[in-house]
Amino acid sequence: MIRSRILALTAVAGLALTACGGTTGTGGQSGKPDKVQIAAEGPFTGDEASIGAGALQAIQLAVEDFNKAGGVNGTQVSLLVWDDQHSAQTAATLQAQGISDPTVLGVVGPMNSGVVLGTLQGLQGANPPLPMVSESASNVKITDQSFSVAHRVCARDDAQGPADGKFLVEKKATKVEIMDAKSDYSTALADQVAKYLSSNAPSVKVQRDSAQHGQTDFHTIVTHIQNFGADWVYFADEGPEVAPLVQQLKAVGLTIPDKINFLGSDGTEDPSIISASQGAYLSAYSTNVTASPIGVDTAASFVTRFKSKYGADSVSKAGPFVGSAYEATQVLLQAIKASPVNNGKISRTDVQSRLGSGSFGTIFGTVKFDAKGDVAGGGIYVYQAKGTDMVVVEKISG
Amino acid sequence: MEHFLGLFAQYLVNGLETGSLYALIALGYTLVYGILEMLNFAHGDVFMVGGFLGAGVAGVLVSQSGVALLPAPLVVLLMMVVAMAGAGLLGVGIERFAYRPLRNANRLAPLITAVGVSLLLESVVQVQVSPAPVTVRSDPLIPLTVLRLGGITVPPSSLLLFVVAIALMAALDRFIFATRFGSAMRATAQDREAATFMGIDVDRIIVVTFLIGSALAGMGGVLYGLQFATVNFFMGYLLGIKAFTAAVIGGIGNVRGAMAGGLVLGVLENLGGGFVSTAFQDSFAFLALILVLMLRPQGLFGQAQADRA
Repeated sequence: MIRSRILALTAVAGLALTACGGTTGTGGQSGKPDKVQIAAEGPFTGDEASIGAGALQAIQLAVEDFNKAGGVNGTQVSLLVWDDQHSAQTAATLQAQGISDPTVLGVVGPMNSGVVLGTLQGLQGANPPLPMVSESASNVKITDQSFSVAHRVCARDDAQGPADGKFLVEKKATKVEIMDAKSDYSTALADQVAKYLSSNAPSVKVQRDSAQHGQTDFHTIVTHIQNFGADWVYFADEGPEVAPLVQQLKAVGLTIPDKINFLGSDGTEDPSIISASQGAYLSAYSTNVTASPIGVDTAASFVTRFKSKYGADSVSKAGPFVGSAYEATQVLLQAIKASPVNNGKISRTDVQSRLGSGSFGTIFGTVKFDAKGDVAGGGIYVYQAKGTDMVVVEKISG
Repeated sequence: MEHFLGLFAQYLVNGLETGSLYALIALGYTLVYGILEMLNFAHGDVFMVGGFLGAGVAGVLVSQSGVALLPAPLVVLLMMVVAMAGAGLLGVGIERFAYRPLRNANRLAPLITAVGVSLLLESVVQVQVSPAPVTVRSDPLIPLTVLRLGGITVPPSSLLLFVVAIALMAALDRFIFATRFGSAMRATAQDREAATFMGIDVDRIIVVTFLIGSALAGMGGVLYGLQFATVNFFMGYLLGIKAFTAAVIGGIGNVRGAMAGGLVLGVLENLGGGFVSTAFQDSFAFLALILVLMLRPQGLFGQAQADRA
């Protein structure tokens, strides 16, 4: 009984397949693709939801805007949401779904460097390879390993490290406590800053410490900072550890900015840190490898649409990568649109070669990738905690 | 040399603060193990729930602009009472519904169930309460002046943690070693069957054990929240493992051992992190565990017994 039903099903499926082949055979180069999917990947929930959730909103808006404008020759793009929760293992499981489905043409993300490095090989090894455009992963290894799938719209750590070091020197720091949070991203960035200081400002004294991911008890590090007599703390962190750290600095009398100064890296210009630290974070500085869309002329209509879709205070709550997530999605969708359609299908190989050769109009101007997959002309932005917001106060070009 | 001694003293004080929190939570592991010989894996998450209950009370009684609606000490007291009651009841509930039906099953069954309860609590808090860390509005509740003793700085929140933890441990010690109920608990721990023959209501002892252990964990959650001004759904995981380590170092099943184990662990960790490297701070806790288990497998205070772990 069961066997005969399966046989019947197979027969029907076979007929359907033949039928499909028959009708779309005339599709040709500029035809309408049958199905176009892209994936958004990042830590949309979990400990880094503060950077992921807002990025996902921006990606969803970008897909919506693109579909309203006609999609890919009339085909609406559907978005798969892969919530990797900042875990490379989870990411690999999610990506398997896209790797095996040839209508998944690209990934916006992953957001965390550690996740990208843990899954790049899988994306590259797919047949055909599955291209990715990250909005936030800045570790140098991502594009230095000559994986052709890897692209990013943010700057690299080796641009950010020197820019952060330059800022510390500009501010006349004399004793800098350099902290990392023991991740691929964080340790590499802290190393870059230390290297910049030792070669460009040898009189600046440096002390290194490591925090654990998710750490809240900073007793020992605070004592280290006190004992060292640091006038600046540099923390290469992705965000969640900063609030308890500055709170505990304040608890022993090291208040920002009169007793100590603070500079953090991407993720730490999240304005929610100000309220999470009960104000201890005010006047602290932070740098980011991507621009905030607020105050950028070409991004003004994006900001308006974002606010009308998600609420009046949504942009400042969306975290640091809201603009770059929209930008990365624009880039990927335009590359897909520029790819040829054969028999109702777009090949990932074509999308990938368009990513490498094309130039794309985005809310931050024209984006073009170099041979490695890095974007040309990225800048580092300095933010400061003022009132309830993080405000851009300076731009440093690497 | 003087500088070194000053630094040493500061790390020692830091370690006692961290350690008193470990000790408070270690007591729950050790009390339950002493009586049921089971590892209550969900205990760290009961601590986490206590932290969230305290944060909730503070969220209601402290306005967004940071003004306490009631006198600060009263708010802190309410946080403690609510968290202890809530965590205590949660512990009793877990025992009633997850562990009691398995009391006569093989030893692996309650252990796996405990892991399940732990994951369940974390997921419920993550989905229903908050996936991101929640701020505890501690500034209006705890004075911000820094206490300086010689060269040592002690934030008032750390002092509160230390004093409350030590006071509770002293009270628990009296309860167990100087009351009728305490001796019934010790009798049950020694031999459950014999205790039943002597007319002790073992079920009642077990319920009270879970109630006390969980309430202490709830208090730990509040003190953690007041000190670090943040709580999150995974905070019970690493702290739970460390507190369990403290209980093993002290000799699992031994109440005074858990207290000492917690303090020893906190101090070792802070000295190691301070003088060697903060990158390996967590490793020192487990290095201490390995050393203790190699040199004195029954733990610092435990008695060597042929039939016990």
